[in-house]
Amino acid sequence: MSSSDASDLGAHRDGNHADPHLAHHFDSMETQNHASRLGMWLFLGTEVLLFAGLFLGYAVNRHFYPHTFKVASHSLNLVLGTVNTVVLISSSFTVAMAYYSVKKGRNKQAAGLLGFTILCALAFLCIKAFEYQHKFQEGALPGKWFHFHEMAGMPGANMFFSVYFLSTGLHAFHVIVGMAILIWVLRRLIRGDFTRTYYIPVELGGLYWHLVDLVWIFLFPLLYLI
Amino acid sequence: MANQTKHTKAHEEAHEHGPGRYVVIWLLLLVATITTVVTGRLDLGAANLPLAMVIATIKATLVVLFFMHLWDSEGINRLVFGVSILFVMVLMLGVFGDLFTRMPMSLPPNAPSPALEQGLNAPELEHTPESPTAPR
Repeated sequence: MSSSDASDLGAHRDGNHADPHLAHHFDSMETQNHASRLGMWLFLGTEVLLFAGLFLGYAVNRHFYPHTFKVASHSLNLVLGTVNTVVLISSSFTVAMAYYSVKKGRNKQAAGLLGFTILCALAFLCIKAFEYQHKFQEGALPGKWFHFHEMAGMPGANMFFSVYFLSTGLHAFHVIVGMAILIWVLRRLIRGDFTRTYYIPVELGGLYWHLVDLVWIFLFPLLYLI
Repeated sequence: MANQTKHTKAHEEAHEHGPGRYVVIWLLLLVATITTVVTGRLDLGAANLPLAMVIATIKATLVVLFFMHLWDSEGINRLVFGVSILFVMVLMLGVFGDLFTRMPMSLPPNAPSPALEQGLNAPELEHTPESPTAPR
C-alpha cells in the first residue's frame, strides 16, 4: 500500500477533506473532539475538588455552630438568592440551546442565545454586588472585620460570613471567567468560525458555564435556606 | 474499519435529540428550585438539611447528565467525573468520621452535647484547650 493510498483512506474515513480545524495528529474530527472533551472533563474534575474544600469548611463549621449558621443563613436575602438561582439555571439552559443550534448550523440563533447567556451572567453579578454591598454596610463580614449587631455575641457568626464570602467570592470569580469565555466564543461565532462539524469551543465553553451553575445549585440551599 | 465507521454513526445518532429535552430539563430545574425554597423555610426539624441536599443532588444530576451531555458522552468522561465525585466522598467521609466521633469519645460520660456554641451555657467546656475563642 503506497503512502498516497493511506492518506486517501484517512480523508475518506473522516469524510471531510478540507476541514482546517483538524490537527494533523488526529485522524478524524471525531477523535479530535473526543480528546478535547476529555481534557475539559479532567479540568472540571479538578474544579469540583477545588470547591469541595470550601464545602467541607462550611460543613465543619456548621457542625460546630448549628444554631448560629441557621440564624446567619436567614439574615441573607432569600428573594435575591432565588432570583439569582433562576437566572443561572436559565442561562445554563440557553447555553445548552446555543450548542444545539450551532450543531444544527443555525449560527444566528446560537449568537442570540449566547448573548442572552452573557446578559444573565451580568445580571447575576449585579445582584451579587448589591447583596455584598448590603452585607458590607451591616458589618456582616468575615473574621476580625465582623461587626454585625443583630448577631453580636453569637459564637461562629464570623465563621459563617467567612465561608459565605470565600465560597460566593470564588464562585463569582468563576462567573466572571465564564462570561469572558462566552464573550470570546460569541465573537468567534459572529466571525463565522463555527460550522456543523467544528463546534467544540461552543461545547467546552458551555461545559464551563454549566459547572458554574452546578456549584451554585449546592451553594444556594446551604447558604440561603438552611 | 467498517465496524469503526458504524460505531461512529451510532454515536452521532445518539446525540440526535430535539431541543425539547433541554426545555424539559429547564422546567424540572425551575420546579425543583421552587420546591427547595418552599420546603427550606418550613420547620421540618432535622429533615431540612437532608431534603435540601437531596433536591440539590437531583438538580445537579439533571444538569450533568443532560445539559453537560454525560448521559450520551464517551465512557471515559463519565469515568473522569465519577472518580472526581468519588474523591469528594472520600474527603467528606474521612472528615465527618472524625468530626462525629472525636468529641463524644473525648468527653466524660453524661457530658453535655459537644456543639461549641453551647460552651457559653456550659462553663466547664469553656476551658477546653481545643475550643476556639468565641468572637466577642
